[in-house]
Amino acid sequence: MDKSLLTIGEVAEMLGVSVDTLRRWDENGKLKSFRASEKAYRYYSEQDVYLFLNDLSHLAEEWVEREVGIEPDPSFYCSSNDVFQGRLVKMQNLLAKLEDLATPFSLIVALVGEIGNNSFDHNLGNWRDLPGVFFAYDIEKRTIVLADRGQGLLRTLQRVRPELKTHAEAMQVAFTEIVSGRAPESRGNGLKYVKAIVAKNPLDFLFESGDAQLSLKKGVSQNLEIREKIPSILGCVAVLKF
Amino acid sequence: MLIQLKKFGTTLSSRPTGKEAFAAFQPSLRELKEGEAIEIDFEGVIVFGPSWADEFLTPILDQYKDKVSLSHTENPSVQATLDLLGQIRAGDFDI
Repeated sequence: MDKSLLTIGEVAEMLGVSVDTLRRWDENGKLKSFRASEKAYRYYSEQDVYLFLNDLSHLAEEWVEREVGIEPDPSFYCSSNDVFQGRLVKMQNLLAKLEDLATPFSLIVALVGEIGNNSFDHNLGNWRDLPGVFFAYDIEKRTIVLADRGQGLLRTLQRVRPELKTHAEAMQVAFTEIVSGRAPESRGNGLKYVKAIVAKNPLDFLFESGDAQLSLKKGVSQNLEIREKIPSILGCVAVLKF
Repeated sequence: MLIQLKKFGTTLSSRPTGKEAFAAFQPSLRELKEGEAIEIDFEGVIVFGPSWADEFLTPILDQYKDKVSLSHTENPSVQATLDLLGQIRAGDFDI
């Protein structure tokens, strides 16, 4: 077999989706396979799969930017925390097999878990329309993407910090101060945890909420550079490269 | 009393499962004798995050304070989570 062709099982593992999902994508044209005949095995062009993989961030942003929410592809959609936890462990099992990870897989999983948990914990009963998170990963490209159509950092933090006026201010507080968006409960440390892990490991992390965007990398723990993001989004998007 | 966290799972990440674990362990905690120490053992834990820790570890530390010690904390995610808890709690537990 041509080395640039991949089996459906290999592609399923690379994308973190089921073989059935790939068959459906083949039928609806989302990711086409090559078959010698209608009953022959499906093979995928490596290049097609990589192009598809490069779109994860784009898919997440597009989903969050939509005026009216529609369910993303079931492979990326965790409608409840239970579904998210199951898929998190599935990703953990894949990462555990990688021998050349520069960051311990337990830290990557804990970081991603915290981002997803935050989405559920802070938006329970307050989702804009669709509950849940978009959660997709590309093991080959070392990229993990999460997004939610929730309230975003500013509205969440305004419950306990009504003086906050901009998304950039909210992002600064979320990543640097111990504060809870669910006061009077003592919580809300997830993003400080993310920053601490990224600061000590060779990771690139992008976080967007409202019209604010923050990039973190190894060595950065103070003087966060928060930039303006256009167009503005209503929930949150996180992209981790490991 | 020895609390082996692996008995609650090896990926300890979410707030709901941390809360459930704490509730499930209440009958055992009630059997604690006066003055008895608690050792929380992380052996076998693969992933440990602050949301789970905040629901399980924090209330035990609040209630039993200096009677609590932690063991087998070598896992990087355990270390990172304990670092954060340590910052919040100003180091009132013994690793």
